[in-house]
Amino acid sequence: MKKKFLSLALVGAMCVALLASCGGKKNATWKVTCPWAPSGVAAMVSQQAATKSTSYSDTITLVAEAIKGDAATVNTWVADTKANDTELVFVGEGLLSITSILDPDKMQFGYEDFVFVENLYSSIFVLSADAKLNLNNIADLKAYVEQGNEISVAVNGATSSEAFLAAALFGSMGAGDKLKLTPYQSAAEAAQAVARGETQFAVSHQSQILETYQQNGVTVVCAFDENDIANGPFEGVEGVGQHGYPYFRNRCFVMARAGTDADKVAELKELYGKILADQEVADWLHNTMLLEVDTMSVEDVEAHVENVKNIVNEYKDIVAG
Amino acid sequence: MLQHIIPATGLLFTLENILWINIGVFVGSVFAAIPGLSVILCVILFLPVTYSMMAIPGMMFLLGIYCAGGYGGSVSAILINTPGTPHAAATMLDGHPLSERGRTKAALKIALYASTFGGVFSALMLLFLGPQVAKIAAQLGTAEYFMVCVFGLTIIAGVSGKSMIKGLISACLGLLISCVGSDPMTSYDRFTFGVSRLYLGLDLAICLIGLFALVEIMAKAEKPLDRLNLDTTQIKDDGVITKAEYKRMARPVLLSSIIGVLVGIIPGTGASEASWFSYNTAKNMSKHPEEFGHGSVEGIAAAESANNAVTGATLIPLLTLGIPGDGTVAIMLSALMINGLNPGLSLFTTQGDIMYAIMLGLILVNIFMCLQGKFLTSLFAKVVSIPQEILTPIIVIFCFAGAYSVNGNYFDVGVALVFGALAWVLRKLELPPVPILLGLVLGSMTETNFRRALLISNGSPSIFFSSVYCIIFLVLIAAAVGTIVRGKMKEKKAAAQKED
Amino acid sequence: MSKWVEQFNGRMDSWGRKLHEKEIRIPVDLVTGAVFFLVALVVLLVMPDQVAISEKDVVNGRAFPTLLMVVMMLCCAMLVGKELYKLATRQPLNWKVINIQVEVKALVILAILVVTWLLSKLTGLFVIGAIFCCLGFLLYFRCRKKSYYVITLALAVAIWAAFRFALGVDF
Repeated sequence: MKKKFLSLALVGAMCVALLASCGGKKNATWKVTCPWAPSGVAAMVSQQAATKSTSYSDTITLVAEAIKGDAATVNTWVADTKANDTELVFVGEGLLSITSILDPDKMQFGYEDFVFVENLYSSIFVLSADAKLNLNNIADLKAYVEQGNEISVAVNGATSSEAFLAAALFGSMGAGDKLKLTPYQSAAEAAQAVARGETQFAVSHQSQILETYQQNGVTVVCAFDENDIANGPFEGVEGVGQHGYPYFRNRCFVMARAGTDADKVAELKELYGKILADQEVADWLHNTMLLEVDTMSVEDVEAHVENVKNIVNEYKDIVAG
Repeated sequence: MLQHIIPATGLLFTLENILWINIGVFVGSVFAAIPGLSVILCVILFLPVTYSMMAIPGMMFLLGIYCAGGYGGSVSAILINTPGTPHAAATMLDGHPLSERGRTKAALKIALYASTFGGVFSALMLLFLGPQVAKIAAQLGTAEYFMVCVFGLTIIAGVSGKSMIKGLISACLGLLISCVGSDPMTSYDRFTFGVSRLYLGLDLAICLIGLFALVEIMAKAEKPLDRLNLDTTQIKDDGVITKAEYKRMARPVLLSSIIGVLVGIIPGTGASEASWFSYNTAKNMSKHPEEFGHGSVEGIAAAESANNAVTGATLIPLLTLGIPGDGTVAIMLSALMINGLNPGLSLFTTQGDIMYAIMLGLILVNIFMCLQGKFLTSLFAKVVSIPQEILTPIIVIFCFAGAYSVNGNYFDVGVALVFGALAWVLRKLELPPVPILLGLVLGSMTETNFRRALLISNGSPSIFFSSVYCIIFLVLIAAAVGTIVRGKMKEKKAAAQKED
Repeated sequence: MSKWVEQFNGRMDSWGRKLHEKEIRIPVDLVTGAVFFLVALVVLLVMPDQVAISEKDVVNGRAFPTLLMVVMMLCCAMLVGKELYKLATRQPLNWKVINIQVEVKALVILAILVVTWLLSKLTGLFVIGAIFCCLGFLLYFRCRKKSYYVITLALAVAIWAAFRFALGVDF
């Protein structure tokens, strides 16, 4: 009796497994891979969008995943996916404009491997300085640079967007040879480094320097944008663009695999549009993350990639040697 | 602290978290109860499962395994005179004799209640001490962090295995393996030998499955099958513990919990040291020392409260400085970091809600451990005698499924196999595996802080001697090395005298 | 069938008895020191090929692995030196006895693991490898209880199904 029962259990388990494996696998769960730190801005925004997805669509559920690894993560993503797979990935100017120039061998993909879905936000980077230096605007910074001091800047990664913004600013001020970039593992760490006095400056997202700024550990010198910051805790901080220095905003594009049906891409774009139009999401992005909702077209994306490429080509000697 | 407690409570008390705590506690109790399976093995096997989970449920699951492992080992120690985990050996001295006197249920109950008290005490210590230690940690810069990593690695290398030199070789090997993949500072590839799957580096869970789990499967070749025939129908006593016994246990339980916490905070020392130290202290302080070794309730209570009091305390250096107190919590560090929770003050400020939820969760874990222990002990007792023939292939299947699920490819399963074979060779060469684990976990942190510190100082190593904290850590490293070397020499001398 | 199994087991037992008597003694510290010294040397030699650097870096990507290998070589030298000193002063070395039977059994287990992996990989069906793994180990342990076969196989399929359907692992 016992043996019969055990045999039945085995057959039952196998049948259930086989039947289940024959069952419909396709569903509308789209996994959104973020190739950067889970605590980073992109991963947090992606998580927020995923949480909201079920409120705006009955057919699509977004699932956020963060696998730190940058180009390596995207290489694996491209290798493991094909057109119409329910997989999305974040790609930013770091990969499309920086790695593609500095270390093209590292990328086993190109822009043509993706189809653009949406850009979720844009972030204005800021330059913060050790509070002891008492640098509060671009004029102060210029005066400091003219003294010929060594300039050490904490950045998130040796060849990151932040590194190029620092190189572009100090390079165009004529202090490229004095610049020492100190790479940290995350933007938050880089922001803390300047408060500890390990470096004199840091380039970071606004949200990542806010706590240190409120504790009076740093001053915020300038913003990497055309105009002054219009609102938020850093309202009035000067934009470098109006002084003629190069700049770009940080953007992260949600991409599907090239060849994915246009109607699916359109459906995803529509969903992201609805999520970003949600007042709660917009407020969270604006007030907590200090970001701006920034939906884009393919042309906008290409223009952004090209702008950053120009800056990289001009200042790559300072960053990468 | 209070501003985090309320939102943390909201984050913690979800059905998902409660479920994962209970699954963790159950799995941990089962693994620890079976002789030959260890808590670290259990955490390694289930680590890939947590990769797809959020920080709180993932940590609750792992903490459930970790804490229940502290208690589960006592089940087989009491029932069959074989400790399920090494730290249950002290429990066995009195647990089994008490069981033989027909008081099996009472012995199991004493172990359970003492474990719960020790665990809750330790969790409270973590809750109050953790943020204070983190404030000190916040003052540490890049050079100091490198010294902290070296301190942690030196201690673990020193106390694992018979020889400190071999421990250091193992640690170097672990650190070297952590270098495979993208350079954390420049993103250039290192030691990938053109294999694109290696660009992301070697995943910790996959390495550990090979180093700790598959090697144990191969070790089945070393010994004949264990036959543990336990007749659970013999457990018939009512399990009553008298008021007088409770009274006798109160002092050793409290004292042992304090000892457990103090031992747990020191990296490299663990539950085994705490339980033996507490057992001996309780014996010395007891009014009935003659009962020790013959079924003393104080002996069981002291050993069990101490080994569970270690659990929360080991998390203090882990969460504040990133130094894992032992191998199991080292794996938990990686589970935290995968969720972007990097040790330090910011963990207690910017992500304070999550952190406090995890610390409060540890109290909850101990409460559920007590409840499961109360109602499921007879099941855990039956589990003790699961035949190895069934257990072995099931563990292998878990290992392979876990390794595959990390990145969804069979390449990783192959990597785990390579690490299994490597671990077998290392075992033959008597190289301890725990420093390799520490090297793997701390590798990136050690390297980036080392290189960044030199970058800040323009290549001058004087930066490692430039601050008070650096000097303190240097002194601590020197003191630790001195103590470990002296201890090893004493052990050798004692062994030589024994041989003579 | 059972006769054939008996014959097979008998032959294995006689081999096992012969192998059990064969042992190799190795001076384990000396061997460890020499092996890992060579490992460190090889790593240092392949470093220029395997770790690209930029001229601008104050501390490049080779610095840390180089430091590790130097520490490892120093440790190995100390280990070898200690053993050589023992040899010179006629103190007993640290010997390790390797039993050939144990090693052969470990190789058989490794072979079961490798075949499990290959079967899963080549068929693309994890469950096939899992079933082989169960049968392989039950035969290795010479298990004769049919109920163990049933329980183990049912558990193997259940674990696969749990990963496949509950955790969404596609294998």
